[in-house]
Amino acid sequence: MGKVYTLSEAISKFVHNGDHICFGGFTTNRKPYAAVREILRQGLGDFIVEAGPAGGDWDMLIGEGRVKAYINCYTADSGVTNVSRRFRAAYEKGELVMEDYSQDALMLMLHAASLGLPFLPVRLMQGSSLTDMWGISKEVRKTIEKLPDDKFVYVDNPFNPGEKVVALPVPQLDTAIIHVQKASPDGTCVIEGDEFHDVDVAVAAKNVIVTCEELISNEEIRLDPTTNRIPPFCVAAVVHCPYGAHPSQCYGYYDYDNPMLKEYGAASKTDEDFKAFLDKYVYGVKDHYEYLDKIGASRLLKLKTVPGYGYAATVK
Amino acid sequence: MSDMRSEMQAYTIARMIEKNQVVIVGTGLPLIGAIMAKKVFQPSCTLIVESGLMDFNPLETPRSVSDLRSMSRCAVPCPPYRYLGFQANELLHNSKRLIGFIGGAAVDLYGNVSATYIGGDYHHPKTRFPGSGGANGIASFVNTIIMMQHEKRRFVKKMPYITSPGWLDGPQSRAGAGLPPNRGPMAVVTDLGVMRFDEQTKKMYLAGYYPFTTPEEILANTGFPVDVSRAEPLPPPDEESIRILRSIDPTRIFLK
Repeated sequence: MGKVYTLSEAISKFVHNGDHICFGGFTTNRKPYAAVREILRQGLGDFIVEAGPAGGDWDMLIGEGRVKAYINCYTADSGVTNVSRRFRAAYEKGELVMEDYSQDALMLMLHAASLGLPFLPVRLMQGSSLTDMWGISKEVRKTIEKLPDDKFVYVDNPFNPGEKVVALPVPQLDTAIIHVQKASPDGTCVIEGDEFHDVDVAVAAKNVIVTCEELISNEEIRLDPTTNRIPPFCVAAVVHCPYGAHPSQCYGYYDYDNPMLKEYGAASKTDEDFKAFLDKYVYGVKDHYEYLDKIGASRLLKLKTVPGYGYAATVK
Repeated sequence: MSDMRSEMQAYTIARMIEKNQVVIVGTGLPLIGAIMAKKVFQPSCTLIVESGLMDFNPLETPRSVSDLRSMSRCAVPCPPYRYLGFQANELLHNSKRLIGFIGGAAVDLYGNVSATYIGGDYHHPKTRFPGSGGANGIASFVNTIIMMQHEKRRFVKKMPYITSPGWLDGPQSRAGAGLPPNRGPMAVVTDLGVMRFDEQTKKMYLAGYYPFTTPEEILANTGFPVDVSRAEPLPPPDEESIRILRSIDPTRIFLK
């Protein structure tokens, strides 16, 4: 049982100030929100962030000034906010050090990290400002230890002379945090539905924290390994954390809490309302279970996915 | 009729999708149009999204490209890198079946799109947007239809920051930039009409307008002069099509 931790223990042991870090999930789906709230409570920050398709998770950390450098490809709670509002405000005020890649490039960079590739040649981003302009200059990059000095470099395709391709750096992640449906004490993980980049970052990162809807035995999880996605030796900490992705979705378990996403969308418009939101839902609760109490049992139960639909539908 | 702008756009999109096409959709009106095409006009088309959900056919409107409303009813939930590999391989195979819908904050004369910012400059933007998402890759490798709100500030003559490359500076420029020259923007669908790109010059022109708009109104809302001599009236959706569109998005998440 050596890898099973409380959320508070896992975050304090495996997340450090200044970590190069990536969260799993995709905008409003299977985001490790409980871990995000615990990171906020513990005051951790100075992160170098591979954001991937981000939403409220990184928006809250940006809004609280916990991000030293942000590698962006897309940041919004799709269908609720067309752009994450703290992210926008911080960048427009010049307070966020940020680089832009295409989502394609970033997802492939994370995959390349999982494959152990030395660098990643792609045909992406050519002819666009994603190559012409750098969000973080070479000079600034040299001052940030965990960022490569170059956003990318052009190289010749060795197998097709004359063809220029974009060589991208492969991130070296300290920490990955993902939320999965099931995990066992040894760290084996079940992911149902789209894995997104979760498996990639779990293989690539030095320290991996998994929060899970259900903690099941090492024997049970091996009875049918078809939905097992991450082997035990890739995982440092397993945290039993039901509704740990709330207010985002979790395939087979619950839908997004759209009123909550809207409440955050509205609150994150101003500094004052944003602070009040965090005081209520993050700093005003001791842990994830107090958070669930605050949300309320009936509200959580109404989010449960309906078999045959896969989301919180009214059965007709 | 002007309160039907979003229905008109979604309907116009639905009619653009052809038999057997594989359609890359995100959210918004392209999704509503593509779902209608799948249900009504072109049941042989398949819908895919950049999160990796392949051949989805939702019962209820998805709000995001990773929504369970798409995931729970797709053929295969591929990891995103597999979607990216598929997109690239379609080009390597010179397949003609892929079409992509992209959005953005602004578009220029040659169909170059910014989804990154408008106003100010890149490092000091007046209004910052979420960033590329999958649109850069789609615009690089796939024929695209661009969605845009038809406002002067969004139709700029020359894009200062290109998130998603269009025809760049004209006919030869994609090849020069390392992009496939036989892929690029086909149309811009807006709340006022449809722009297309001249085959020779690759410059945007007005191809169609809606029953509630005029070429003059569109010109007045475009930040640069365009040829309107080829503009034709576009057919409005009939009552049944409107009913279907509204049944796809009954709570009007994207239909306004």
